[in-house]
Amino acid sequence: MAAMVSLRKVSKRYRRGAQSVPVLESLDLEVEAGEFLALMGPSGSGKTTLLNLLGGLSRADQGEVRVAGARLDQLSPRALARWRARHIGFVFQFYNLLPVFNAQRNVELPLLLTKLSREQRRHNAQAALALVGLADRGAHRPSELSGGQQQRVAIARALVADPSLLICDEPTGDLDRASADQVLDLLRRLNREQNKTIVMVTHDPRAAAYASRRLNVDKGQLGDDATTVAAT
Amino acid sequence: MTRADLVWAALRRRPARTALTSLSIVTAFFLFGVIEGVNVGIATMAGAANPHHLLVSSRLSMGTPLPVAQLQRIAAISGVDGVAGLAMLMGSYRDPRNVMPVVGVDIAALFRIYETQMMAPPEQLAAAAHLRTGAIVGRMLAEHQGWKVGDRVPIQMPGLRKADGSSDMSFDIVGIYDRDQPDTATWLVANYDYINESRLQNRDSVSQIAVGVTDPARTAQIAQAIDDAFANSSNQTLTQTEKDFVDSLLRQVGDIAFVLDAIVGAVLFTLLFLTANTMAQSVRERIPELALLKSLGFSDAAVAGLIVIEALLLCGAAAMLGLTAAVAVLPLMTNRPALGIGAMHVPHAVFAAGALAAILVALVSALPLAGKARRLDIASALSHR
Repeated sequence: MAAMVSLRKVSKRYRRGAQSVPVLESLDLEVEAGEFLALMGPSGSGKTTLLNLLGGLSRADQGEVRVAGARLDQLSPRALARWRARHIGFVFQFYNLLPVFNAQRNVELPLLLTKLSREQRRHNAQAALALVGLADRGAHRPSELSGGQQQRVAIARALVADPSLLICDEPTGDLDRASADQVLDLLRRLNREQNKTIVMVTHDPRAAAYASRRLNVDKGQLGDDATTVAAT
Repeated sequence: MTRADLVWAALRRRPARTALTSLSIVTAFFLFGVIEGVNVGIATMAGAANPHHLLVSSRLSMGTPLPVAQLQRIAAISGVDGVAGLAMLMGSYRDPRNVMPVVGVDIAALFRIYETQMMAPPEQLAAAAHLRTGAIVGRMLAEHQGWKVGDRVPIQMPGLRKADGSSDMSFDIVGIYDRDQPDTATWLVANYDYINESRLQNRDSVSQIAVGVTDPARTAQIAQAIDDAFANSSNQTLTQTEKDFVDSLLRQVGDIAFVLDAIVGAVLFTLLFLTANTMAQSVRERIPELALLKSLGFSDAAVAGLIVIEALLLCGAAAMLGLTAAVAVLPLMTNRPALGIGAMHVPHAVFAAGALAAILVALVSALPLAGKARRLDIASALSHR
């Protein structure tokens, strides 16, 4: 299988006043297409920073970041934005749905950057909502949906442009157990049935158990990645 | 769903705030349209005054009458091409509030002096000369009152007391005159003798004397000659060109243009702060949403563009509404035939200047915020939710 993600000697530092704080140090990572990878680790370990690098939301200070065939460290800001639109679907802990739009319109947002017709955009958004089991909730605003439903709308939004890679940052961190299981079941189904490559950050070992591979991030380094589990 | 929906959604996010801000902008640009319209109207009035005609008033004050005998002496001065003594009175028709200027004058002499500004058919002028009670009225006044040639109109003239104690006079309308500026055709022009013989006060006097000149290049000399002629009399005169006369009238109420421009400037300056503050609040509240759009693949320029378009839409639509309201209302506000002032209008140039000001207010308000949105770091904006 081809590598969807390939990081070589990647370092990232943050500035805090006069201090430069290392977050990721000479990190290597490969994620194959069709993998479901869970990144675990304590707060401040660099998980989200790593996720942001993979999604092209921030840039590495050193090293090579190759995702979905593109060298992100070499793309201009404009090209990086175009690349994100084509290849990445984000799922955030707090859903980040626009409160003034209903679910259907929230899901349509990424399609505004495509050349699809208005009718085609609407059709694709309905299909994405159906995929996450919310076909009948398109007209509801986020405030009229439960947390679990909002997160499923966010997943539909992440999927609607058929991205190469789904990046999920604590997707169940704000959900109760039942809702979290629904969301995780959905992600696993997308991975298995749609062959979506997923990289998910989580604190929750139960959530990580849904992934096909788990890695620990600690002090900017990746831990043992030998644990490959058959998802339960 | 289109990108326009994103802009519209931003405006709908806080409907009350958007409505109040829009109302402020509508009001500001309504004031802009009205005030600048009045400003241009006044300038037009002053500009329209003929610089070659002379107006003779009393040097004491504008309200002090001059003896009618001065007309003959002025007519004899070298370079004078005609004189017309004007007895200016106010009259009302049916309703004391429905007032108009009534001018007693040698009608033929007046229309000869003002032949390029006041036009009436010769047969109507002749009819007025032959009928003592005849009057020629401005077309705008006639339309306003619903008068036509052949009508006999009773006019109440509070400033004129007749021997029988009344102050009513009747005039037979024998003609309608047009003016080069149609909105200023608001006088009822009557025969001087008819008015003069009816009144007890100020008999054989005039309020002003209009003077035509043979050589427009010599107006200053002729004006001086007229004033010199009466320098040692008890009725000293002040002779000015019509334009100087209007200018001096306007100067009596201060530098109107400056005051009006200052008001408009203050209104727009305040509006700038209001709009900038509203936009800043709106953008600050939506930082995570803007970061989300960027994460979805919207470019820095696209997100910045949304903010600029939002400001342009808010300011532009509200400004158009305010300016349109000014266009509709200003003529109604300023149509005062009683003062000899016709309806003023918001000129196209003022409308265009208002639209330009709205665009500038929008850009000055939005560009710093657009720059901020452009530089927005997605990761940190999303993590501070």
